[in-house]
Amino acid sequence: MSATNQAAAGQYDYEIIKKFSVMAIVWGVVGMFVGVYIASELAWPFLNFDSPYFSFGRFRPVHTGAVIFGFGGSALFATSYYVVQRTCQTRLFAPGLASFTFWGWQAVIVLAAVSYVMGYSQGREYAEMEWPIDLLILFVWVAYLVVYVGTLMQRKQAHIYVANWFYLSFILATALLHTFNNIAIPVNLFTLKSYSLFAGTQDAMTQWWYGHNAVGFFLTAAFLGMMYYFVPKHAGRPVYSYRLSIVHFWALSFMYMWVGTHHLHWTALPDWASTLGATFSIMLLLPSWGGMINGIMTLSGAWDKLRTDPIMRFMIVALSFYGMSTFEGPLMSLKDVNALSHYTDWTVGHVHSGALGWVAMISFGSLYHMMPRLWNTTMYSVKLINMHFWLATIGTLMYITAMWISGISQGLMWRAFDEFGNLQYSFVESVAAMHPFYAMRAIGGMFFLTGMLLMAYNMYQTIRQGVRAEVASARAAAATA
Amino acid sequence: MQWFSNPENTKPLGLLIFFITFCLIVVWVYGSRKRSAKLEEYKNIPFLDDDEVKKDKSNG
Amino acid sequence: MSFKHEKVETNAGILLVLTMLAISVGGLVEIAPLFFIKDTTENVEGVRPYTPLESRGRDLYIREGCYTCHSQMIRPFRDEQLRYGHYSLAAESKYDHPFQWGSKRTGPDLARVGGKYSNEWHVQHMIKPKSVVPESVMPNYPWMMTTKLDVSDIGDRMRALRITGVPYSANDEEYQRNVKQFGEPVAKTLHIPDAVKNLVAQAQEGNYDGDRTSVSELDAMIAYLQVLGTMVDFSKIKPEELVKFR
Repeated sequence: MSATNQAAAGQYDYEIIKKFSVMAIVWGVVGMFVGVYIASELAWPFLNFDSPYFSFGRFRPVHTGAVIFGFGGSALFATSYYVVQRTCQTRLFAPGLASFTFWGWQAVIVLAAVSYVMGYSQGREYAEMEWPIDLLILFVWVAYLVVYVGTLMQRKQAHIYVANWFYLSFILATALLHTFNNIAIPVNLFTLKSYSLFAGTQDAMTQWWYGHNAVGFFLTAAFLGMMYYFVPKHAGRPVYSYRLSIVHFWALSFMYMWVGTHHLHWTALPDWASTLGATFSIMLLLPSWGGMINGIMTLSGAWDKLRTDPIMRFMIVALSFYGMSTFEGPLMSLKDVNALSHYTDWTVGHVHSGALGWVAMISFGSLYHMMPRLWNTTMYSVKLINMHFWLATIGTLMYITAMWISGISQGLMWRAFDEFGNLQYSFVESVAAMHPFYAMRAIGGMFFLTGMLLMAYNMYQTIRQGVRAEVASARAAAATA
Repeated sequence: MQWFSNPENTKPLGLLIFFITFCLIVVWVYGSRKRSAKLEEYKNIPFLDDDEVKKDKSNG
Repeated sequence: MSFKHEKVETNAGILLVLTMLAISVGGLVEIAPLFFIKDTTENVEGVRPYTPLESRGRDLYIREGCYTCHSQMIRPFRDEQLRYGHYSLAAESKYDHPFQWGSKRTGPDLARVGGKYSNEWHVQHMIKPKSVVPESVMPNYPWMMTTKLDVSDIGDRMRALRITGVPYSANDEEYQRNVKQFGEPVAKTLHIPDAVKNLVAQAQEGNYDGDRTSVSELDAMIAYLQVLGTMVDFSKIKPEELVKFR
């Protein structure tokens, strides 16, 4: 048994995947810690410590950068390299280039975090990295595309498995979005500061075209790729309907790019553009739920495993949250709902039900599935995975419940009138009313972070176990020889 | 380009592009029984990677 | 498993091209028109580029990530009209590189905060928000009062903005064009060769942070906050004309 696994380790290029998996967990811990910290700053503002470096405004992009690009990005690199090799039954194309994607990407995350704390920001959400970092991202991304497509080209399987389609569309879309959204003029060649080429409405449109598609392709399509490989693989059953997955793919790829404008309802953006965005958002419900049903039906028949296998639980809960947030999203894109929800914590809650519930959970499931195979061992503790599962689920639920309540109350308080037709509440009354929910959100985040720490510990022990066994078997081999 | 800036033009155009493409894909995917069978066969690809997994509690 | 090599390569290529097509349509249809239609590029009287001091203040606004908690986009609702003022026009952010409309109101909208509070209030509020708004959760920014504003690269900054299309003047011809468009007093502040002089003069005259002896970061910050939303005189615009500015 272990012989075939050794063969697999020789058959596929695992070193790069190991590195990315470890860094995914490292960035998960860092990013979620910063997240808990900034959430606490809103509940207990003394935590800003009158320091420029720790203030909410500079720390918030550190959080989003570390979790989206650090944790999510590294998890995607790891799983995509794993999936593309295994479904094409070939080794990675240009391993040197793949190694560059690793070091380049880690450099991006570190440089971005440091530059934010130092006060360098493009001032556009999720695209705060200044121009030299953007250029580095571009190089890494082109290398990634070359490695990925190169690996696809040398496959030993006639058909390209659908998971790879999703990863490919994620790579292409991210390249497109990143390039166009970050066109900026540097102040001079020796400073990080630059100004966006676009202004006002055009800039808003470009930014939210990028912003929502970062969600659509980076945080959805790519993780669907993950889902289409790891869910069937872990359940030991093929995907429910392959044809549905093809329709899912094309509908999703086509429609996502239209919906960004729903972030700009009731703004100075022309009305037709945001209405078009809302229309596509509603239509997007269909492929999204098609994909969710495909995933859940794959698991049906393996329900008994849910009782014993926490990894399976991560996957099914991830799919459920995916279904829920892809229902909530179109709802919030309706102009009348958006009038209430926009600018409030509801949006923050929605993002996190997707980010924690879907993206992070499916990544946890996939990483737990992958890591014992990478290090050719078994998980150190299944019990800890189970604890992680419950901490993550409870944390997510607390987080989004807090944000629903605070978001909807903010929206209602801002638009409340008294009997004389005056505003009923001053703005700061709404701020004061949010305190308990901000505290609750921070606590929910702490739950989630604690789970992440358990995972890190579990992984550390698993890797140690794997490395020890490898050393021992090498010694035994040497002794017999 | 002016033509595109008019929502009365772009709305039906977008709808048309979307709908035709969608129909083509659906027809292609579900149209023929033979193709359907072939497509569904691809779902086994993840299980062809000659990986004998260790049987333990963590991976079911 | 049949293994056909020709098909293999074309397949990956076709997949790549088709995916690219599918993901490009949406962006093209929605973004491209914005650069051509009138609504988004409309001239509204009074809107002008920021002065050097205001522009530096805007840089600080971005540096501190104010947009993570404050929006600058008032929507056309009755409550927002009462709370913040007239809804924002596209033209009001036409010189904003990047836009700072924001997406979250942990704090109030700032699109028309200019002139609402005195400079002294802003100084107190920036140093310690709780001293004027006890329930506030905003961080303190005391270092902005004590840090001198770096004015050394203001020329470079304005030149970079000029490349993006902001009409700062680098020569006499451009200066004359600005005089025609914005009038002489404004045109003077947009002249790049005089940037440092203009910046210091505005800081001293405006006395934003209450200390005329030096130009602090707080001077720039408050100069920016005080100009937000004040450029357009809404009493001069007829309601029926407003529609076309949206």
